[in-house]
Parts: sequence; structure tokens; C-alpha cells
Amino acid sequence: MLDKNAVGRTSPPTLNEVEKGAIRRFAEAIGDFNPVYYDEEYARAAGYPTVVAPPTFPACFHSSADLRELLGVGIKSLLHAEQSFEYERPLLAGDRIFVATRVADVQERTGPAGRMDVAVLEDEGRDEEGALVFRARRTLVVRATKEA
Amino acid sequence: MAARKLYFEAVRLGDELPPLSKGPVDRVQLARYAGASGDFNPVHVDEAYARSLGMPSVYAPGMLVMGMLGQLVSDWSRGAQLRKYQVRFSKIVWPGDTVVAKGRVMERWGDNGRYFAEVDLWVENQKGELVLRGSALVQLFYSLDDENRQRSGQPPLVVPSAKESLHAPPPRPPEPRPVAQPGHLSKKPAPAARKPGAKKSARK
Repeated sequence: MLDKNAVGRTSPPTLNEVEKGAIRRFAEAIGDFNPVYYDEEYARAAGYPTVVAPPTFPACFHSSADLRELLGVGIKSLLHAEQSFEYERPLLAGDRIFVATRVADVQERTGPAGRMDVAVLEDEGRDEEGALVFRARRTLVVRATKEA
Repeated sequence: MAARKLYFEAVRLGDELPPLSKGPVDRVQLARYAGASGDFNPVHVDEAYARSLGMPSVYAPGMLVMGMLGQLVSDWSRGAQLRKYQVRFSKIVWPGDTVVAKGRVMERWGDNGRYFAEVDLWVENQKGELVLRGSALVQLFYSLDDENRQRSGQPPLVVPSAKESLHAPPPRPPEPRPVAQPGHLSKKPAPAARKPGAKKSARK
């Protein structure tokens, strides 16, 4: 099973630059053509300083976290069970966000398909001044490799 | 260009968000999302790999579907600030699937010049099956007047707005069963405890 001592393990913050082109491609991939994601003038008229990113945009942020390292075990398969976001403000084109991933919880559960581990990973995004921009929580059902 | 905006004064409990149809999802979209998100997990883009795991085909990452549902919320709440957004994934979306994102206003309240609405959210596939369910919390201006005031540096408009909710009553009055049971238990065990005692004493 997963290493219970993994709880609290945190990856060092990694810089993610929020690029306009990346926002556009992300919104296109979802099929969301709201002009606030594409058109700077429109975004300003809507009350934003510049183009904003869609709510799930943090999904494309990188952190230095290696799941195998963080969770301390070989991972056979991962199932994304739950996801949540809390936002202090919208993400904006030009933002420089530092993302750190922390193991928030590790639990063992027994289901119909046998024993499985549930890990909760929390990503925290902060701006250059250190102010919190968002918090994201991923609940993953983990099948660990047996010999691990 | 004046964008349509949603204000707190226009939000009613039980309001349904205009349903948003998305799809059919195809493999090009999966590839596009993989590229845009940087998540190149082969189960979403490599057909041979997905089949080798026993899956009928590649499938959509949950985050793509959550993104589609996010569009429903942002379209509905233009001009508002999304504060919380959460989902629980329950069914896989396959290439060829069409999904419909839906939502309903479950709570609304004001807090000293800040106004909030909470919506229940869910996504169904073309068979009417629940793909995921979740909720979002948005913060809104009370009205256009409130927005104009705040944008010109004035304090927000304060309109007392007590919490209205469609959720099970918030202070959770004793849930019918659990509370009824302790009541029964406290009556029953007493005689039950006496009986054995009575029998014993009778034997003696």
C-alpha cells in the first residue's frame, strides 16, 4: 500500500507562466469560445485587466512533483475520482504562478475490486508576492504495483 | 461591446442554468486537450495502448469534462467571480459521446456587501447517465448600480439578504431516523434490561 508517511510531503514551488496562447489553446480544446479567453479588449470591457484563463486551467500547470516520489511507491494505475478548486482571483494572462504539490491525505480502502489506496494531492498556486491565487485538490484512486 | 452580466438581484433559488450541450467528443479533441493541458497519459490518445489495458478505446480525461461543465458556470455567471468549483467523476466519456451540462441554484445569500450563489452541477451523457456531479460557488455584484459604485471606488451596496437554501434545512434538525431511534432505544433497553434481571431474580 501507499506510504502513510507520505502525508505532508511537499514538492518545491515551480514557476508556471500563464501565456495568452496557452489560454487560447486550452479554451479551444474545451470548445469554449467565450471572448474573455481570447480577446483582450473584450476582457477589459468585461472588467478584467486582461485575458483570463478558464476555471480548470490549473490542470495544465506543472509542479516538480513526481507522484511516485511523493507517494513513495510504484504506481500501476491511477483513477481521478474527485477534483476541486478554490480561487482567490481569476488567473490572468501574464501571471507568474508558483505551484507546489502536497500530499494531503493517504488512505487505504477496500472496495469490490480489492484493496486500493486513495491519495489526496493539494496544489497551491501563489503569485510572485507569495499571495495565494488558487488551491486545487485531486483525489486519486491508486493501484500500487504489488512488489513495491 | 457590452457583455451581458449576471447580478445577484436576478438570481432566484431553484433557477436552472441553461443546459449546455457539448460534443460529440472525438479523438481529435482528446489530442487537442492533451496538447493544451500537457497531460499525455496514453489512455487518452493512444488507441493501441488503451486496448492493451482492456479498454474498448481511448477515453476523455475527467478534467476535459470538468472544463466543459466549467463553461456552463462561466457562461451563466458572466461578470461574477468563481470562488469554488468541485466535481466527483462517476462515468467515463468515450469518443462519440455527447454530453449535456446542467445546473441549478441551490443557495443565495448576502454577507455585508458581498453576495454569493451556490449551484449544483451535473453532466449527463446521451443515454441520460450521470457522468459527473459537483457544485460551484460564485460571488456576484448585487446589481449594475453596485458594480458601478465599487468600480468607482465607493463602498459596496449593502442589501440585507438572509441565506435562502434548497439544501436540506441547514441547522440539520435532528434527522428523522437517527433521532427517533435513540428515543426508542432509551425506552426499550430499560424493560429489556429488567427482564433478564427479573428472570434471574425469579430463578433465585
